[in-house]
Amino acid sequence: MTAGAPTTVGAAGQGVAEAPQPQPVLRVSDLSAFYQTHYFGIVREVRAVDDISLHVLPNEIYGLAGESSCGKTTLIKTIAGAIQPPLNVVGGSVKFDFRGQSINVYESTPEERNAMRWQHLSYIMQGSMSVLNPVRRVRHSFVDFAFRHIGRSMPDFLDTVVGHLERLHLRADVLDAYPHELSGGMRQRVTIALATVCRPEFIIADEPTTALDVVVQKGVLAMIRGIQREIGSSLLFVTHDLSVHANLADRLGIMYAGHIVEEGPTAELFASPRHPYTVHLIGSLPRVGDAAPKKGLEGVPPNLADPPPGCRFHPRCPLAMGICSRETPVMEWAGPGRRVACFAAEKGITA
Amino acid sequence: MSPPLLEVSNASKIYAMGGLLSRRRFAAVADVSFTLEEDRHEIFTIIGESGSGKTTLARMILNIVPATEGTIRFRGVDLATIRKRADRLAFMRQVQPIFQNPFEAFNPLKRVDRYLYMTALHFTDARTADEVRAKADRALRQVGLSLAEVKGRFPHELSGGQLQRVAVARSLISSPALIIADEPVSMVDASIRMSIVNLFKALRDTLKVSIIYITHDLATAYYISDRIIIMKKGEVVESGNAREVLAHPTHPYSILLKNSVLSPDPSRRDELLAPQFSSTEKDIAALR
Repeated sequence: MTAGAPTTVGAAGQGVAEAPQPQPVLRVSDLSAFYQTHYFGIVREVRAVDDISLHVLPNEIYGLAGESSCGKTTLIKTIAGAIQPPLNVVGGSVKFDFRGQSINVYESTPEERNAMRWQHLSYIMQGSMSVLNPVRRVRHSFVDFAFRHIGRSMPDFLDTVVGHLERLHLRADVLDAYPHELSGGMRQRVTIALATVCRPEFIIADEPTTALDVVVQKGVLAMIRGIQREIGSSLLFVTHDLSVHANLADRLGIMYAGHIVEEGPTAELFASPRHPYTVHLIGSLPRVGDAAPKKGLEGVPPNLADPPPGCRFHPRCPLAMGICSRETPVMEWAGPGRRVACFAAEKGITA
Repeated sequence: MSPPLLEVSNASKIYAMGGLLSRRRFAAVADVSFTLEEDRHEIFTIIGESGSGKTTLARMILNIVPATEGTIRFRGVDLATIRKRADRLAFMRQVQPIFQNPFEAFNPLKRVDRYLYMTALHFTDARTADEVRAKADRALRQVGLSLAEVKGRFPHELSGGQLQRVAVARSLISSPALIIADEPVSMVDASIRMSIVNLFKALRDTLKVSIIYITHDLATAYYISDRIIIMKKGEVVESGNAREVLAHPTHPYSILLKNSVLSPDPSRRDELLAPQFSSTEKDIAALR
């Protein structure tokens, strides 16, 4: 990274934090959601989302990073209110505020939640093939998902859809195609169109480009950002790929084993990561043009059914101290807009 | 002069599609040639997006899929002439695969160590249970594990990174001369990915194995490869020294591929502008 870059982008990042605080669209407080089973008298508990707090501002892209089985998908399912046993919310709250119309997901009725979905809150999923019905034309998916939320006559609705598809550089005839007739990139753009056609205030995107080719991925990301800026919604973007976050997210939260361990404006987080896990993730990114030796992290991600005591990262942490195996660090403010959960970072030690 | 380790000359794989009346020919791999030398141990990378024929090429080199045109010779032996079981086993002993998804490569109902024992029985001179276990343990130690950690475990009890290491260990048991790794890190977590990539480097340097590394990830390819070929629609569009090709690609497709790689650097995020997409798509259409 060049010396000048962090300051310029850092200033923009601070702008997000210090501007007259607009009301967050999403406020998650102390949320815990566990998978709980008790068969034959044996109780098992997988703490996939453990005491997570975060907020997302209007017109902001919040990136959520973390490796597989760290609880990313469980977190966004819980935020969307799309949970089924054995996944249960144990504590905390999820509150949305859609331009004055607020809803507390776990104190609302199923009808209220259904009315909220798609009109205010939509979801771009990873596997476009499993979102679109393979035996029906794309048109039917649009009618199924969005028709009743838009509340216009069918010809009017289809006109809206065609106009919206044009924004994603898709021609109207994709509506008459079956999903298997489209390429992967086109299919993913159709699911993006599906999620944005009602101009929702909040969009959740779960690894939307992971299954795509490199050549297509960049274009699809640009398109997601373009449409997000255009309709002015907030985006919660989940992927394990930090290069994607570097290019897209305004703020970034790093998840490890059910906790958010670090959060901050993307540029600052990349320039000066505090948590040893973040330091490792950013330091080990391979780049074209850089052949310096990079290290992998030793050890294995913890089993969430039986997490290590104290800080869940301490068995793999290069900075582990005595306190790390006894107490769980809490997320603390570390500079404007930044939070970190680490005893070493608190003392100013960095990896 | 001894024959080269692997000589792929004008190899093609053509699939015929459609019925009796409307037959179409589709070249999954078209006229690919390259040579790996016997005594120059290197990581040879095949790069391409999905559908570029890189996995088909790997399967041809593994002699799972026969080439429809051209020849592939391993140490002077044409793969098409391998007919007898003994010849096939001798070939498999020297060329070993590593697959993309370790959770699919191992049967979830069988213990992981069984794969190591079976490989040792088939491809080495180990005959007693102790010898077989010793072979498995030696291979596991080469990848930073030990038999004690793996013994009796089922695939779901190991993490993706550990399982991929076991897959690498399995391929090492027969002391192969060539390992073909098809997207070995794309299913492995970010924090462990680099240790697997580093493992390949170490295998090349310490065990003197040549590795054909198949990937779509230009960044790891730049990090470990010695030589590289870039494939598009079954054809090789560019080849040469990995660092030079990736630093200064000349073919339009290679340039497009390089420009598509997202830089992990937030200060360059403005490169991701919406209008770029339509032009990228046009580029792709023109190239096709």
